[in-house]
Amino acid sequence: MELASTRELVLTWAARSVRVRYQQSVLGGLWAVLQPAATVVIFNIIFTYFVPVDTGGIPYVLFSYVAMVPWTFFSASITDMTDSLVSNMNLVSKIYFPRTMLPVAALLARMVDFGIAACLIVVLIIIYRWPVNVAGLLFIPAILAVQLALALGLGFMGAALNVFYRDVRHVITLALQLWFYATPIIYPVSTVPERFRPYYFMNPMAGVIEAFRDVILYQRLPGVYLAISGGVALVVLIVGYLFFRRVEFQFADVV
Amino acid sequence: MAATIIADQLTKRYRIGKGLTSLRELFAFNRQSATRTYHWAVRDVSFQLEPGDALGIIGPNGAGKTTILKLLSRVSHPSSGALHVDGRLSALIELGAGFHPDLTGRENIYLNGTILGMRRAEIKSRFDEIVAFAGIGHYLDTPVKRYSSGMYARLGFAIAAHVDPQVLLVDEVLAVGDYAFQMKCYARMAELRRNGTTLIFVSHNMEAVRRVCERGLVMYRGQAIFQGSAAEAVVAYSDAIRDAARQSQDTTAPQEDGLSQRVMTFDAEIERVQLLDAAGDAVSVLRTGAPAHLAVDVRVNRAVAHPIFSLIIRAQDGRVLYDTTTQWRKIVTPTFAAGERCRVEYALQMPLLEGSYELGIDIASADLTHFYDCLERALTFSVVGAKGAEGVVDLGATIAINKLAAPESPSPTYAMAAS
Repeated sequence: MELASTRELVLTWAARSVRVRYQQSVLGGLWAVLQPAATVVIFNIIFTYFVPVDTGGIPYVLFSYVAMVPWTFFSASITDMTDSLVSNMNLVSKIYFPRTMLPVAALLARMVDFGIAACLIVVLIIIYRWPVNVAGLLFIPAILAVQLALALGLGFMGAALNVFYRDVRHVITLALQLWFYATPIIYPVSTVPERFRPYYFMNPMAGVIEAFRDVILYQRLPGVYLAISGGVALVVLIVGYLFFRRVEFQFADVV
Repeated sequence: MAATIIADQLTKRYRIGKGLTSLRELFAFNRQSATRTYHWAVRDVSFQLEPGDALGIIGPNGAGKTTILKLLSRVSHPSSGALHVDGRLSALIELGAGFHPDLTGRENIYLNGTILGMRRAEIKSRFDEIVAFAGIGHYLDTPVKRYSSGMYARLGFAIAAHVDPQVLLVDEVLAVGDYAFQMKCYARMAELRRNGTTLIFVSHNMEAVRRVCERGLVMYRGQAIFQGSAAEAVVAYSDAIRDAARQSQDTTAPQEDGLSQRVMTFDAEIERVQLLDAAGDAVSVLRTGAPAHLAVDVRVNRAVAHPIFSLIIRAQDGRVLYDTTTQWRKIVTPTFAAGERCRVEYALQMPLLEGSYELGIDIASADLTHFYDCLERALTFSVVGAKGAEGVVDLGATIAINKLAAPESPSPTYAMAAS
């Protein structure tokens, strides 16, 4: 299949997934905001009143929502990509199309939610009158690219493995739960003991989330950890893609 | 002309058993594993098709027909053998695969069309054609979950048939539509073929195969047991399943290889079919207009109640010329006990013109759920004698030519003469 029609297929399929997700729901796209917002409200109560966390003067809601939105995107996109082949079994086993289409479209469909949820970041910044550094904001596409590469690599791997072993989706769910706490979403990096930091930033999502905070909240440019995350993400993407392509010929027979 | 499809010793095997692939196997470079047992879904099948060719693939369930289509459409990969397919391929393996029930007909046309490899612009330009073909005009903006199964199938076929494929694969999907729609589908397939589309058609409907295809491939237990003209293939298929049924006559346990559904039960078995002349001697050449007798000897292996006997006469290209059953004639047949024999006699007029013809016999259960026995081509016979006419049937025209009076009236009158 030619590239142009594959691109159209990915877009059509992603649009279909978004449309289907919110069809017959009253709130529709609002759910994309409600999910991270509700979590942030809970964490705000806990970490402002019960166990106060020092955010360096940033309102906790703003502090955690800025991190929660990309994390929710990351976590939901990996879950959806992992399920993308198995939940479209009848398609995979009946019609030929480039198999990479399904995970890529799942990622794009989640990106729509991400875009909607990100609007609330802008609203919060305005409400709290938080100062913004335009030079830093120019890095957002780069940070996002690192996150997308990482998600895509893991998603390819997860989707392909899930075809053969249904355990994979449970492993992914569990891993994402643990990963959440290993990433500076509800607490600042400053609470991580200095001697743990080098290991801490081996988690590529730590670099990504911290970079989002840098450019949106701290008015500074991302640190070197974003480069580390970028390197890891690139390796994961290449390995994930090659693995997917290597085993895809068996999908229709195994699924 | 260059071949569009070349299949060379195409083979597909599946692993038997439920065991998971071990991680080591998944990553292994050498995928051969000696300890596994395999089911050969398709074994060493070769064929070659040129633009405009139509190949019918027939065979019992589990013979490997759908597997061949899956291999051709690249859904599944051959275990060994080479496959070359030229140009855009559209496959109707399941109508409306990829439809989303919550989306409207309009949305699903775009969705399904892009999955089948069309550009959005292309779909847009054919949109009206697709809608008209499917006949879903009023329901275009209704979610397809509210469609009837017929509408669903029509829309699925309409989209796939408008992809403008170089190769069209059709798998037993037309059975769902009504008669008018089936005719439309056949017409569309013929139209595509005139434009050079290569067609591969899988069906249980022998008449459909004969009608749509010139070439036939008979699959049986994963192997191609016959290749030739579609009409010959239908006969070969019929013989093959009859042999298989005979061999497994006493085994009631379903077999592992997919032939658990017995096509014929052999509760009653056709022993001999003869054409007899007036003197009672067996003949194979008849004269146009002369009476003929057909005798079918049947042995009953297990008690059967009111079996239906049927007779079918075909031209050599498979066209049905005459088809009659005891049921249509409202003849109540007796009940037979095991071990009984009977002779079914047909007295026939033979108004056929010169040519070779085929005669088929089958015996079916009273409720028509299964065949006791079926001989697709019980015998072939030729007819000689009638001169001065071409075609199939002697309509016995008498011809009268009379000069008419001087042309005063402007419109001439024609007399139709009937004997």
